[in-house]
Amino acid sequence: MSFPTSTVAWSQYPMQPPAYTSVPARTTLPRPAPPPPATPAPATPQKVEWSPAVRAYVSRAFDAENAIAGISQAEMTEKLRAIISSFAERDALDAVDWPNHPLPQEILRAERAAAKSLHPQVYQHSALMTSPNELANPPFDTPQSKKRKSQDKDELQARPAEASIPPWRRTNLEDRITYSNAHNDKRHKKNALFGDTASKLDQADLEKRKQRFQLPKSGNKSTPPWSSPRHDSDSDMSTAPVIGTNQSLEKSYFRLTAPPKAETVRPLHVLEKSLAMLTKKWKAEKNYNYICNQFKSLRQDLTVQHIKNAFTVKVYEIHARVALEKGDLGEYNQCQTQLKALYSQKLGGNPAEFTAYRILYFVYTCNKTDMNDLLAELTPADKTHPWIKHALNVRSALALGNYHKFFRLYLDAQNMGGYLMDMFIERERLHALANISRAYTNVAQRFLTDELGFENDDACREFLDSHGAQHIIDEKVDEQGARQFRVKVREGAAVFESLRAAAFSKVDIKGQI
Amino acid sequence: MNMQEALAPFQDAYATGSAQAVADFLSPDPPSRDPGRLYDFWRASNEDKIEGDVRYAFKYGRTSGMSPGEATAWLDIVVCYWRAVDKILKADQAKNQGKLSDRQLMDVYDAWKDITSNFIKYISNGTLPHWTVFTLYFTANNLRKFAIKADEQLAKAKPVAFSAGFQDDVVSAVKKSEKLEEAARVFNRIFALCLGDRTPDMMQSRKWGVYCIANLQFKTYFKLKAISLSKNVVRSIEAQNDLPAFHLYPASHRVTYKYYLGVISFLQEDYTKAESCLTEALNLCYAKSVKNKELILTYLIPCRLITQHTVPTAELLNEFPHLKRLFGGLVSSIRKGDLSGFDKALAEGEPEFVKRRVFLTLERSRDIALRNLLRKVFLAEGWEDLKEGQTEKDRIRKSRIPTAHFVAALRIGTAGAGSGQVVEDDEVECLMANMIYKGLMKGYISREHGMVVLNKKGAFPGTGV
Repeated sequence: MSFPTSTVAWSQYPMQPPAYTSVPARTTLPRPAPPPPATPAPATPQKVEWSPAVRAYVSRAFDAENAIAGISQAEMTEKLRAIISSFAERDALDAVDWPNHPLPQEILRAERAAAKSLHPQVYQHSALMTSPNELANPPFDTPQSKKRKSQDKDELQARPAEASIPPWRRTNLEDRITYSNAHNDKRHKKNALFGDTASKLDQADLEKRKQRFQLPKSGNKSTPPWSSPRHDSDSDMSTAPVIGTNQSLEKSYFRLTAPPKAETVRPLHVLEKSLAMLTKKWKAEKNYNYICNQFKSLRQDLTVQHIKNAFTVKVYEIHARVALEKGDLGEYNQCQTQLKALYSQKLGGNPAEFTAYRILYFVYTCNKTDMNDLLAELTPADKTHPWIKHALNVRSALALGNYHKFFRLYLDAQNMGGYLMDMFIERERLHALANISRAYTNVAQRFLTDELGFENDDACREFLDSHGAQHIIDEKVDEQGARQFRVKVREGAAVFESLRAAAFSKVDIKGQI
Repeated sequence: MNMQEALAPFQDAYATGSAQAVADFLSPDPPSRDPGRLYDFWRASNEDKIEGDVRYAFKYGRTSGMSPGEATAWLDIVVCYWRAVDKILKADQAKNQGKLSDRQLMDVYDAWKDITSNFIKYISNGTLPHWTVFTLYFTANNLRKFAIKADEQLAKAKPVAFSAGFQDDVVSAVKKSEKLEEAARVFNRIFALCLGDRTPDMMQSRKWGVYCIANLQFKTYFKLKAISLSKNVVRSIEAQNDLPAFHLYPASHRVTYKYYLGVISFLQEDYTKAESCLTEALNLCYAKSVKNKELILTYLIPCRLITQHTVPTAELLNEFPHLKRLFGGLVSSIRKGDLSGFDKALAEGEPEFVKRRVFLTLERSRDIALRNLLRKVFLAEGWEDLKEGQTEKDRIRKSRIPTAHFVAALRIGTAGAGSGQVVEDDEVECLMANMIYKGLMKGYISREHGMVVLNKKGAFPGTGV
């Protein structure tokens, strides 16, 4: 029963912390002084001064004497990087017994042996839950490893008491056995690394590389993800919720390609503060790119932690509104889809407001199928709600070609419905104009201003000018000497009709086919 | 009963070479004349012995001139069938005792999928004769039903799915019909199996199964609300130029195919194509299958409202009481030009119309009701006085009509104030502009004079005036 691991002092850590411990952001070098086996390396995150112990370890890894047949130097280097970065990331470099730490090539050999000898699934569970001893043994029966055995016993004894072992306590065990749910691994508090994007990116790269090598060996039976059939979400180990430990209010969005790590994910109470901060910032700065990015990472953090409550709804609602305000319908639509599912679970929020938006959205996209499905879902109570009713009236006015009513409704838009209607107002103006140009020979410009819902004559004039109607506007002075503009609409009929057709032929939304 | 006896009906069915007869044997429901059949069949063996029993029965029972290879294929299929029956009976029993577990309908589905897969396997490698694709059709149709049931149960068991994988958003794309989607993929394989058959002898070809499998796919895609996928099926059929002539296929395949093609075009708002497909389906449809004709007419009637501005005759509606209930109110309002009656009928029928996906189309026929109302105003205006030298023959209707008259007509038609309906003058003008734009009325509006000037000839095209 040898269970080699390095000098992690088990007892100094508290028992498993509750899910959402608030951890004050650290500014100094805190760490309750782990037993220092090597000289503590200066913890400057940017330019890392590797400690002599680490350097010795690296040179030992590259030593030709230690090379193992079948493991190329490239593979070994990769592993070596992964090992060191994984410790560096958690500021645990000095917590490792480098002189006795198994070499990367040994770890690789052990992994391969383990993967071969055990069914991956069994392997995974046994590695996590029961005795991980047999797996990794052979390569560690090196003379140096003996020293660790006593500690291993301690650790093994401590084990049954733990319902689930916080994997970060098995500091360097994780590098010998690899498993898929790496996001469960490290609960380590990440220190002061956040301000520096450059180093963070490097780490992200390293981490990705590491996971790329780990994934195929783990849970999903070594089928590459693209060829494996869709697996049941319940059986998928990687979807177990993460519990975040990150304290930053701001976080840039990265698309996940691997399970997230706890130290990059923010727990609910941090997210709440973050949302408040973002809302304030949005009002003050109106920097959409920044806000959208922040909201996406916020949504991601909620998702990976399986947080589904009123707060989730609030985040999506606010993001949806912000996206609407900026006319980012792609992003808005994502939020809308999510909101629909969230509302179905009665988590609060403003379903009526967003149902109204959804109707207007489908008016915009001219999506008859979705509109039909939406109408099918509406309850009689929904239909009497003023906001929803307004949206339904917009829909039917357009369906019946009643532009008069439509532009009245436009001027009376509810909530942020005006922003959505702005998306198709020009199109509908052209439609109305095409209509009018067939039914009248000439009209007063004021008539168009009124009928097409323009704010004033100038706006109307500008619209006409920019749509090829400048030459059909006549200026007349009536008996009282007042100037009047008349538009000879009939002459523009063909132009308006082709503009109308063009406007309806393209509904261009990012991310939608 | 031993397995040999239990398989006798199969041997009989097989000997007839009828796909339907074999499918009847492999049915998940016992025939009404023999309600205990499934149970008897199940009793004839057990999980441990089933393979041996069936093999023995095939070997020593009545042989129907099957090759050994083919016998193996049927052996596999019958064994799968026995297992499926096992699951079905267990699920039935559990259901009767009110303790149907989450797993059981899934088990039934999986077992049935095995039968289907075996059929596909043995048909595609040529072990089973070509006519068995129709037996496979029945099997697949049952698979569809089991998939729907399994999905219903899945939805009940875990109504909300968390996002799987590394998605950014809380709720993953709605996957309510996992099993039916899987079944749809199975059907796709069957479709390819039929379409891609290269047997030169058309009489031996699986190509005869193309339309009936396509119909099964349509049905599935409609249920899945993934109607757009149907287009792929249509496209592959249209691209395949070596299919037997369409009119040689059984009428039932043709009617259903044309019906779906019509509905798909209808939903894409290609009403001309929809009309021709649906008309063809209606003409081909078996005279006595009222329900099918009703289904076809459910789409054909709205279609004709759009393409030809015509309403169904009273005789037609009388023939189909269901349709009369559905469309009667609308049709009579359109005829009378009664806008508020139209709005009321449309609102009352909305749930059913929306369900059938005809609501948005029917809504557009309000134009015709309006046209009829405006036409009435035109008729009420009467005739121009005769000028010198003109005779009664030259008499023409008054074509310059004050806008106010139309406004008055619409106000009467929409039950006055408080109904929340059209009242504003400009709105009436707007609606008339629409009529003109859409070609339902010929003429123009003169705002200065508050007049509508209609064409002297054919002011309302297609209505005789």
